Amino acid sequence: MSDPRPGQRFSLDDAPAPGEPTTLQGARHYLPTQASDPYHQDEIPDSPAIDAAIAPPRKRRWGLMIVLGGALGLGTLEAAQTLYLSTLGGDWLAGAWSLIGLTAVGLGARALFGELWRLRKLRRHARLRRQLDEEWVDDAPATHTDPLTLAGELREQMGLPRDHPQWQSFLDAHQSHHTAQETRQLIAHYLLHPRDRAARRLVTRMSGETAVMVAVSPLTLVDMSLMAWRNIAMLDRIAALYGLQLGYASRLRLFREVLRNMAFAGASEMVSDAGMDLLSMNLAAKLSTRAGQGLGAGLLTARLGLRAMRTIRPIAFEGDEQPRLADLRREVWQQLRRLDDRAEPR
Amino acid sequence: MARHLTHELRNLLDRGRDRQLRLAVTGLSRAGKTAFLTSLVNQLRHAGIDARLDLLKSAREERLLGAQRISQPDLGIPRFPYDEAIAALESTPPRWPEPTRGISELRLQLRYKTRRARGLLGDTATLTLDLIDYPGEWLLDLPLLEHDFLSWSESQLRRTGPERRQHAEAWRAALDRHRPDEEVDESRLAELAEHYAASLRSAREAGFSHLQPGRFLLPGDLQGAPVLQFFPLPGVGESDRQTLETLPADSLYQTLKKRFRFYQQHVVKPFYREHFRRFDRQIVLVDVLGALNAGPERFEDLSDALATLMRSFDYGKRSLMNRLFSPRIDRLAIAATKADHVTPDQHANLVALLESLLAEPIKDLRYADVPVRAFSLASIRATETREIESDGKRQPALRGHGLDGEPVLIYPGDVPDRLPENAFWQRQGFDFTAFRPAPCRSQALPHIRMDAALEWLMGDKLR
Repeated sequence: MSDPRPGQRFSLDDAPAPGEPTTLQGARHYLPTQASDPYHQDEIPDSPAIDAAIAPPRKRRWGLMIVLGGALGLGTLEAAQTLYLSTLGGDWLAGAWSLIGLTAVGLGARALFGELWRLRKLRRHARLRRQLDEEWVDDAPATHTDPLTLAGELREQMGLPRDHPQWQSFLDAHQSHHTAQETRQLIAHYLLHPRDRAARRLVTRMSGETAVMVAVSPLTLVDMSLMAWRNIAMLDRIAALYGLQLGYASRLRLFREVLRNMAFAGASEMVSDAGMDLLSMNLAAKLSTRAGQGLGAGLLTARLGLRAMRTIRPIAFEGDEQPRLADLRREVWQQLRRLDDRAEPR
Repeated sequence: MARHLTHELRNLLDRGRDRQLRLAVTGLSRAGKTAFLTSLVNQLRHAGIDARLDLLKSAREERLLGAQRISQPDLGIPRFPYDEAIAALESTPPRWPEPTRGISELRLQLRYKTRRARGLLGDTATLTLDLIDYPGEWLLDLPLLEHDFLSWSESQLRRTGPERRQHAEAWRAALDRHRPDEEVDESRLAELAEHYAASLRSAREAGFSHLQPGRFLLPGDLQGAPVLQFFPLPGVGESDRQTLETLPADSLYQTLKKRFRFYQQHVVKPFYREHFRRFDRQIVLVDVLGALNAGPERFEDLSDALATLMRSFDYGKRSLMNRLFSPRIDRLAIAATKADHVTPDQHANLVALLESLLAEPIKDLRYADVPVRAFSLASIRATETREIESDGKRQPALRGHGLDGEPVLIYPGDVPDRLPENAFWQRQGFDFTAFRPAPCRSQALPHIRMDAALEWLMGDKLR
């Protein structure tokens, strides 16, 4: 154990105190009497192997990529050449065609870069989330990053400006002595709770509407496309609430993530949820088959929404703040009941 | 009488509905009990207006409406001198509140909005918080109750280290001329007891904490009474019990034994029965930095004192039955006070040191399945944290005013995360500066982590 550093008094005008001259940079001499521990090497974590085994197999289609990339590159070159020659030779039609071709290539490239950019943002989001999870779990040792710096990163990730009122009220509440755990509480309250509330409202509304739409729609095919469309729209909006812009690829990736989370959700949670779902669907089916179907679809949307919230939220929910399906179920059911009541007088 | 009965009935009703909380603020002398209570009342009074209680969930969600002092249950006990303490803090130059010299009580009524409306009951609720303040010296009398004279005598003399023994030198010398079976007259006994009291006082001056009996240091209204004229007998032990018990009634041993018993029965027991039996929550305040300043022997002494002290409280899970009839402490906070005297980066070490200081009691509490949390706390914050450039590195520093009123800018030094060896103390030692409170004008007192401590102690009652 190294000795605690002694105190130091400074002159009041914050002038740098004269330091002791250092003889050698980087080298440190220890007394032989200094307590020492045997050299301890951290065990190599075995998780990457397991992760790799669990993760879906990744294969890159190099051949296809070379062919596509080559064709695109050569095409662009040829179009540019044609354009150049046609301006010289006066072949306006060929020139216009190649111009259109170039524009198309440019647009495609822009879209591609946009996609990549958003994918990167999603990846950064996931990384930040993991970091926050690791460091802000309990009172972490002082070796970790300063909580306020991490909070600043989170603010940037969420796309909030520095003078955003919520961020300002967080700064007012935050004190230099707050630990990581305390900072997490404050961030959750000032930045995330308003968004949680909005997201929950959104999920409630969307699942209710989905339930009603499925209940009234006459065709199964329409049901299916309705579900897909609305669920993707919901995912988009939830992501936007937490400051994440989704492109095509990132949306797909996130959707896959959410679905995987749903598929591997804890068995007990599934059982209790599904039990209640079945019960309420049965009850609803007693009223009408349509209502039963609607409720089923609505509940699925609600579950997807909640799962998406859990996946996207930058800091994992704590204990009792997590929105539960049971609260939403009643609301979805009420929406359906209203429909039913209105239908009955006829 | 009728009024008393209705009062009792209401208390019982409140306890039954779990709307009453008795908070034990435990700490030896100079641990910061009075400052804690003053700050607690102040923060709760200012809640929702200008108090920063962001870590108290109900305050953060703006549900805490405030608190009011209401008439206390026992009208025979003085009220906690909150206004005097605030006046001291607001005077120019600001002073710390006077140390406590007697028992006082305080009852606060907290009003808050519940998280969910409670039907016909409306959406506001109240919580009654009972607090008492008392001199820390008296607290150490509680462990006396589990001793008789002989075992107490033995325990008092077994523990003393070399430095502590020095303080008892004069008393030892005076006592050496007497034997336990000898008859000693009243005035000589008073003289010896005075020697003993003087040894306790000088030990306290030197920074020791485990000093029994507490009334010797702060007699209150018992000044000069024979009940305060006894002392432990060196050189006798459990093996001599047989012979000692047969001694005549006016022998030194028997006289001391009688007085010790009287002290136990008529001084300590009522104090314990009336004030220390019925608690729901507890916060143990420890001046860790003061103990570090004082050196290894006193540090051990403090650890020892706290361990014996905490055995005097009932810990365990709560249920409706024992809430009504024999309340127990079901949640506990331990706090290293004066955390504003070190820089924020040292708070983690301060907490670790506190935990190692209280290692033994924490084990017992864990066995009893009572949740404990350690905090670094400053009830009234006297310094502000700065950062300065020194040796090309940025390092934190504290800015405040010393007790003499001189402004200081200081890095107070590292706090070790466990007790350093003796050699370290001889080489370097610790010297944490004391600060006087920062000037404040009728706004909420600045603090460190009072809100977190409050959340832990009563957050679950403010839902």
